[in-house]
Amino acid sequence: MTAAAGLPRTVLRLHRTAGIVWLVFVLGAVAWLVWLNEVTADSARAAVNSCPRDTGICEAVWASLDYSGPTGWISTLVYYSFWAVAAWAGGSLIGRELESGTAQLAWTQGVTPTRWLAVKLAVPALVIVLGGAIFVPVYRWAWSANRDLMGDDWSFPDVFAAHGPAIVAYGLCALAVGTLTGLVLRRSLPALGVTVAVMVLLNQVLERYREDFWPTVSQASAGRSEVPNNWWQTGDGRYHPPSHFWPMHLIETGILLAVTAAATAAAFRLLRRRTR
Amino acid sequence: MTDTAIAAAALGKRFGRRGGWALRECTFRLPAGRVCAVVGPNGAGKSTLLALAAGLLAPSEGTVTVLGTTPGEARARVGFVGQDKPLYPQLTVAETLRMGADLNPGHWDAATGERIVAAGELNPKSRIRTLSGGQRTRVALALALAKRPELLLLDEPMADLDPLARHELMGVLMARAAEHGTTIVMSSHVVAELEDSCDHLLLVGGGRVRLSGEIDDLLAAHARVSAPAETDLTPHTVVESRTTGRQLTALIRPAGPLPGDWRTGGRLSLEELVLAHLRSPEAPALAPADTDKPEENAA
Repeated sequence: MTAAAGLPRTVLRLHRTAGIVWLVFVLGAVAWLVWLNEVTADSARAAVNSCPRDTGICEAVWASLDYSGPTGWISTLVYYSFWAVAAWAGGSLIGRELESGTAQLAWTQGVTPTRWLAVKLAVPALVIVLGGAIFVPVYRWAWSANRDLMGDDWSFPDVFAAHGPAIVAYGLCALAVGTLTGLVLRRSLPALGVTVAVMVLLNQVLERYREDFWPTVSQASAGRSEVPNNWWQTGDGRYHPPSHFWPMHLIETGILLAVTAAATAAAFRLLRRRTR
Repeated sequence: MTDTAIAAAALGKRFGRRGGWALRECTFRLPAGRVCAVVGPNGAGKSTLLALAAGLLAPSEGTVTVLGTTPGEARARVGFVGQDKPLYPQLTVAETLRMGADLNPGHWDAATGERIVAAGELNPKSRIRTLSGGQRTRVALALALAKRPELLLLDEPMADLDPLARHELMGVLMARAAEHGTTIVMSSHVVAELEDSCDHLLLVGGGRVRLSGEIDDLLAAHARVSAPAETDLTPHTVVESRTTGRQLTALIRPAGPLPGDWRTGGRLSLEELVLAHLRSPEAPALAPADTDKPEENAA
């Protein structure tokens, strides 16, 4: 039994239920994506193709929804799972500990408040990053595997975020903001509410200004005779071609990580000022 | 190991920038190896004082030294049980003790923890949330004692316990103090609860230290006297005086021999001494010469 492992083990034991829920959620989403692409996609396409080409109404055209519906739901759920992370971080991870005094229990064992907070943040952060590392590659593969059955494109908010590290950054940001709010308010329910509100607001702002993170092009400036389908139209004749995805995506990720870093630093400073 | 468990110098704590002072200008010294009672009415600042010593709060002014160092540095050598006995409700008794072992590497005494829990006939598999207040106190004490602390800070430790458990756990604490020289500081607003077990007193009232010292010295420094009404009590320090008809009774700190016509009461009890000071907030504070430097601070 080493000194270093004791606190992480305790944090895992305390938040076992949340960890299991997260694991089931991520693995469930991944397994569902695999199932949709390996099984559902082929049968849906077969059903759609069974429709006669020239007659108007054929029930089977809706079969593609069996594939595109769940695929859309999965990215939406995983994207907005930062709401749950925010609620958990503010309410359960930190707020409840300060409200009920159990944080003080930890601090009067052999653990300094600073180390307590560091491990309290590091363990869930690692779990969030791991979840993203599993989900994002699978989602990228799944999203591009059967484009003919999908009606979305890369400008959809959830599709945009789920295609890279931004979806992880949202989780980390929710964790850090929840931690800071929990430390400031020291009560679990208010911290939960405020954290979710802050994260929803931040997310809405980022979604609104996402298209401004990188200069747009026009049809003329890109030297195209016509605009391809997969260009993201942002305004009157202004577009983001798919090549703009990574710069836009990484800027959003960077903003989120900056907020994460600021909230984390503030949380440590607050705790260090408050305790000895 | 130093010979001072806790030393406070002009220690003060204020909650919020405009909040009132929970504790102010506290100066005292608690020698190591003592069993010290921290006594005072509700809201006197007892919990704040213990939390400052445990490093759970940062002082607003002054300093507190614990086991010769800062409360933060002394953390591993100090046991603490808060007033609400906070424990993780989702853990079982056994998991709680395992957490203690995990968080106190190198100085965890698993046998002590298990023995205290077993004496209460607690099922190790019971969740903390299913336990009664007294049972939780027992688990919290097991956690604090198994840490093998040099200094044990207990905030109202016995409040939830039935008389039998109180007697047994007090015995465990006293045995611990006797065998290992552990300094124990426990707060209470029930003076009688502490009189038999403690040898040192810290009386806190209105956020200040009113009395501090060995209980025997404090009792010896005071006398209850009866004299005819209108008697001038100077040069003795008057803690409390009351005139009934032609009789004046007073609790004083004699500054010298008492006149022969004053009748002195029998042996003063700790409770009388404490109550007299609590009834008279304007009485000067006293910290007899139990230390190298006698410390007196007028409240």
